[in-house]
Amino acid sequence: MGVLLAVANGYDDDNKARRRPVFGQMALPLLNRWTDSSALSLGILGVGNIGLVHLKSAVAMPDVEVVAAADAVPGNRDRAERAGVSRTYDDYATLLESEDLDAAVVALPPFLHAEAVERAAAAGVDVFVEKPLARSTEEADEMLETAREAGIAVGVDHTLRYQPDMAGVKAAYDEGGVGHVPYASITRLNDHPLGKPPADEAPPEWPMDPDAAGGGSLVELGVHCFDLLEWLFGDLEVQDASMGRTLETEAEDAATVLMAAPETGTTITLHCGTYQWEQLPEVNTRLRLEGVTGTISNQEHLPENFYAGAAKSALSNVGGRFTNDEPDVFGPTFYLQAHYDALADFCDAIREGERPPVDGADGRRTIELAETAYELAAESDGEAAEPETPEVTL
Amino acid sequence: MSATPVRATAVDAADRRGSWIPDIDARMAAFEPPVRDLLEPSLETLADADRITLVPDAHYPFHPSSGMVTDPAVIGAIVARLEGRTDADIAVAGASNDRIAFDRTAEYLGYASLLERFDADLVDLTDDRRVDDICEVDRNPTAVSVPSRLAESTAVVVPSLRPSEDGPVAGAMRTLAGTVDCDADPARVPVAATRAVDPALAVLDATTAYGGAPAAGDTLFAGSPVDVDAVATALLGRSLETDAALETARGDDGPVSVEGDVDFDRLRERVPDGELPPPDETHPAVSTAYRVYAAVAGDAVPPQLEGGR
Repeated sequence: MGVLLAVANGYDDDNKARRRPVFGQMALPLLNRWTDSSALSLGILGVGNIGLVHLKSAVAMPDVEVVAAADAVPGNRDRAERAGVSRTYDDYATLLESEDLDAAVVALPPFLHAEAVERAAAAGVDVFVEKPLARSTEEADEMLETAREAGIAVGVDHTLRYQPDMAGVKAAYDEGGVGHVPYASITRLNDHPLGKPPADEAPPEWPMDPDAAGGGSLVELGVHCFDLLEWLFGDLEVQDASMGRTLETEAEDAATVLMAAPETGTTITLHCGTYQWEQLPEVNTRLRLEGVTGTISNQEHLPENFYAGAAKSALSNVGGRFTNDEPDVFGPTFYLQAHYDALADFCDAIREGERPPVDGADGRRTIELAETAYELAAESDGEAAEPETPEVTL
Repeated sequence: MSATPVRATAVDAADRRGSWIPDIDARMAAFEPPVRDLLEPSLETLADADRITLVPDAHYPFHPSSGMVTDPAVIGAIVARLEGRTDADIAVAGASNDRIAFDRTAEYLGYASLLERFDADLVDLTDDRRVDDICEVDRNPTAVSVPSRLAESTAVVVPSLRPSEDGPVAGAMRTLAGTVDCDADPARVPVAATRAVDPALAVLDATTAYGGAPAAGDTLFAGSPVDVDAVATALLGRSLETDAALETARGDDGPVSVEGDVDFDRLRERVPDGELPPPDETHPAVSTAYRVYAAVAGDAVPPQLEGGR
């Protein structure tokens, strides 16, 4: 596919590749193990919702063969088999021991990421890890050191920068459409894991457990925003933060972070939360860049009507079938297509022996920013809760 | 007409900003006067009880400001009143369902920390010993297994004001139905549960209602479970005749009267009459269309559009 090699100034000329951001082209000799001209063999570790999206994406990719999937839940394995995987395992460790893989997608809960990467490293298998990469920078450091020692590549599934609306914002910003941007804001809200009425399935417990997930909504949603914001504005400095809970859960379901981007002179606020009911296909992700001459909003770069956009994409794909063009996978659903593009770029990088475009360092960086936000929020809470020193009269 | 009218009382919201006060103590303080007024006529009955069990709508940890569950602050205000005016052992009870364990729901909704302020217990009825009962529903004997905590205490059911997934109000009868075991026709189970448990009182939490959207109702109602469900049905713009369980329970009862300091018609206008949000699972027709498109275009079908396959 050679998309990375075709990128010169940020985007390809064709429409599909315009969604693909610029990434460093640093070649990593240690990643050049993959030299076979046959398909990239891929294993999917965890085929819950997002794991199944990765599986279906990979199945649709040229030059990628999904050889096996693993999940502890029988129903998920059944779905994986229906999606085209011939072999499934109830344990990802057994899959890694049994299969000859070039790469694995780690779509397990966060508390299993480190162990999965360690086992993949032992098997010499490159990994594409769901976010958050790890539950802490300490855990991320251990993972990345293990990967470095084993010579495996680590990619991370941060997908906002792959969405067409976000790419549209970046293009408008880079083109100077509003001049200097003193202020930007991003909001990302959904209802994971409790959902909205009617309650139709048991919500998993691990997302509500900071020990298992690494935090609450800030690591569920905020890390995606951090990745996007650094892609837009460069290094961020977290200046203050506040965590909130709308229910009596251990993990926060709302987070607000104040940041500065020194390179662009931009003050940024981020608010993310898992408290708001979500009605797909609508998703509440709003990015606004307030510039000197106007505003850039991701809403301006979304299809005006989701269903109309979906129909257009569907027609394009159907037409492409007769002209032998490759379809946009998950074409009518741009947020799922972003996952496809992220995984496709990872596979391309592995195939070319290059660093994954969103790599372990990027994933670790988002966790570092989240940790700083947690620390600042805890300091603020501590100050608020600290009692005044009583006067003691002897 | 039912012999005893349903009592209604308004919650003073004059000084409130927005529709929701996050501080549960502040909400409990606001609810104490209307709860006092509503419970007064029932205190003689309740004062004789050794054990009183409150059964709120706590079927899932939806935020109480959505109107999809009973506000725990309403329960707190009732517990406070009952503790002050009776010597009964008081408990707040609920049951696990196939989606979530009751202890998780209760924890997230704040019942565990709420009840620490009182000498009241939180009871998961799921594993409670069962007391078998036979009650007549529509001239058919119907077997019901009731948790002993409910069978052996005076029950007060405190439903939210919202529709059920099937359309009729969730109400007092269906809140009780969620606590019992009964293999009868689904339309009979709420009736059987109500007759087997025989609650002393139902308190409808209409402080926040949900009918396709939330709305501040700022009202509490109290009465018999069947009459309270009839009131809830009217507030949500539904017909009594379209609720088979309610129609069975009401039999030949005439209209329900409501007394109190509430403008019922104005409240009925304020409460939306919609349904629950559509499920995430895509409509089967859309799923089928997407699969056809995917087959023709060579695209993949997202898991969300698989239509439960």
